[in-house]
Amino acid sequence: MIKATRKGIAGNGIETIKNLTHTLASKNYRGSAIFTAEPTNDQRKTLEEICPTKALFSTKENSVMGLDNGKCITCGYCSEAASKTIEIQNKPSNPVKTKSQMISYSSPQTLFQEKSYEQTGNELKEKIQKMFGRSLAIRQVDAGSCNGCEIEIAALNNPIYDIERFGIHFVASPRHADVLLVTGPASRNMEIALLRTYEATPGPKIVIAVGACACSGGIFGDTYATTGGIDKVVPVDVYIPGCPPRPEVLLQGILLAVNRMKSE
Amino acid sequence: MNNTNLENYAKEIASKFSSKIAKTWQNNDELHLNVELDAMPKICDYVYKNLNARLATIICSDERKNIGGFAIRYVFEKDNVFIFIIVSTGQGFAFPSIISHIPAAALYEREIKDMFGLVPTGNPDMRPLVLHEHWPDEVFPLRKEFELETKAKRQEKEYQFLRVQGEGICEIPVGPVHAGIIEPGHFRFSILGENIVNLETRLFYTHKGIEKLAESMRLDEALLLSERIAGDESVANSSAFCQAIEKIAQIEIPKRAKKIRTVFAELERIYNHVGTLAGISTDASFPFGAARLNILKEKLMQLNEYLSGSRILFGVNRIGGVRCDITDENKKLILETLSQVSDDFDKVTILLKSKSSFMDRLRGTGAIQKKIAHDLGTVGIVARCVGIDVDARRDHPYGSYYLHNHKTPQELVQHQIEMEKRTGDALARFEIRVHEVQDSLDIIRESLDLEDDSLFTSVPENLEPFRSALGWAESHRGQTLHWVMIGENNSIFRYKVRTASFCNWPVIEQAVLNDIVPDFPLVNKSLDLSYSGNDL
Repeated sequence: MIKATRKGIAGNGIETIKNLTHTLASKNYRGSAIFTAEPTNDQRKTLEEICPTKALFSTKENSVMGLDNGKCITCGYCSEAASKTIEIQNKPSNPVKTKSQMISYSSPQTLFQEKSYEQTGNELKEKIQKMFGRSLAIRQVDAGSCNGCEIEIAALNNPIYDIERFGIHFVASPRHADVLLVTGPASRNMEIALLRTYEATPGPKIVIAVGACACSGGIFGDTYATTGGIDKVVPVDVYIPGCPPRPEVLLQGILLAVNRMKSE
Repeated sequence: MNNTNLENYAKEIASKFSSKIAKTWQNNDELHLNVELDAMPKICDYVYKNLNARLATIICSDERKNIGGFAIRYVFEKDNVFIFIIVSTGQGFAFPSIISHIPAAALYEREIKDMFGLVPTGNPDMRPLVLHEHWPDEVFPLRKEFELETKAKRQEKEYQFLRVQGEGICEIPVGPVHAGIIEPGHFRFSILGENIVNLETRLFYTHKGIEKLAESMRLDEALLLSERIAGDESVANSSAFCQAIEKIAQIEIPKRAKKIRTVFAELERIYNHVGTLAGISTDASFPFGAARLNILKEKLMQLNEYLSGSRILFGVNRIGGVRCDITDENKKLILETLSQVSDDFDKVTILLKSKSSFMDRLRGTGAIQKKIAHDLGTVGIVARCVGIDVDARRDHPYGSYYLHNHKTPQELVQHQIEMEKRTGDALARFEIRVHEVQDSLDIIRESLDLEDDSLFTSVPENLEPFRSALGWAESHRGQTLHWVMIGENNSIFRYKVRTASFCNWPVIEQAVLNDIVPDFPLVNKSLDLSYSGNDL
């Protein structure tokens, strides 16, 4: 009986993710939009009109259509309007280093090699050990987000994702941080606070823009109250698209950021 | 029942103030009274004190083109009726303050002052609220002539905090960037030793101009915006928005859609309550409990993702119904997951309640007085923890909640006794959350016998301009109110959002008094307030 009670409280088959081939996203997950066919001229017009964040756009030559994942909030309105042309897949879009890399086009594209959460984490651990000794300290800054990204960032600390096992931890002050993880469209009221936080962080420092809002302003756009993306306020090293990005993708983004630091 | 209530109130108010009321009419379950500006404070006072109605919200809109002035709507809530007292400012840019009668109006009036440039005469606190001190004085974003993309120049100015002075008093400024993974806000503590003598909150750091932005959007875009008012309240806020539009369009959504909305609303409540309980456990220095509860939260979020395609339930609603179906296969998964979660949840709560150090930490911490909670117009758990029995699911049934409201007389009496016993401290809020999770599990199980009709109904192509309606929902934080007025060509003329957090934030300044500084995180978490939902 003691055994049964202990199992009930302590285990219950819940374990930190280890399976190397297992992908966590369910088949219904709205990860990112992907073109499945070349849109016709009419479709292009409809799609451009229907996209609430202007993530879909026609290129200057007007022959292909572009999709800016940094703006996309995966609402799925486009795939409802043109289901044969564009589709929402369960694979999330990848973190990237420059804004232009977030854009995909309706012409064929190369597929990204997917890595499992554990693989990514271990690679990151090696990198961190080389550069920082044993750990990476992250300061999260909310520059006006809706709290969606915070929920996912907080999930990194739960026993299922358990980011601390890779030597990454969240710290209470920017003065202790190597990385700033910034969410939100950088509201005007947070602009100064964000800048001061950036200045308080010792170099070498990296800034990661988390979520569509931080990458481009997202649905909140560029208005009187927002600045339209945190790169208008501080230099950004890595962009993590998504609304909100999944915990695995957040970890990939951090890995990419550390890579970048090495090259400098 | 609805109509008799409404007519009675109309008669009662008319019998006192018939000469001051220009027009009375009914809009669904809303009673609208056009009154004179000068008589408004007295009428509001009468409705608040004699009818014992609660101030639900104050809505201002720039209707200078239509009625030659700004319209201000004082919305009171009484039983299942909303009473709108409507005044026009005419040519002037001022309106009489009502805070000497109704303290809860203070923040609304400051908000109107910032966003519309109307001066609340008689309000002693004229400091900026939404637009911080660096905004120029002549910027009023919600006036119609203000362009959405205007970039105002910064000005140098300092915000005047309330100064507490005396021997041994210190100030601790905290924020806006906090130590944890939470949203931004500034807290100014005045302390004597470790005891908090005064706390002043300064919010609106995440102000994103949602209400102004909505005026430039299509209805289906504004729906996405409403989901993102506060990421963790997406279903509640989008349901409230949809209901407002559905009322304007005079359509009834299919029964299946109503039940699906209910299921998702309760799933949202559960995952958030479990998350908050985990937070309380962390802040009470019991990480083991937090870890266990966070595992449950993750499970529920994975269920959310499987059902709706989003871990935080974005994209569930559409105007006229829902976008996500719950198939028979999904039903099975929901029942299985919920039974696992429910078993584990019971075990964890028994464990937490058996830890005397944990219970001692919560007992008596952050206690709120009933009078203060009433005067500040609190809603949701913050109101229920002192025994103020408000719940939009029961008071104004929406979705399929009318199916869950039947209680036997015995249950009603027990419920009342329980309400009387509530003490308003962090422990009361902890226990209510545990209780509500169990209730939500029952509601979901009962709601899964879905009807076989469609997921959504068609919405008329053109909505009549300048019609308005109020939509509401009970999020896990409390009642959220969305008022929409349609403009020409299906645009949005005015979208006023008042989430539960806006009502509940002021209470934290009272809840921490005489507690010590290390209690603050625990009190804050137990109140579970949204910054983004407050700042808009």
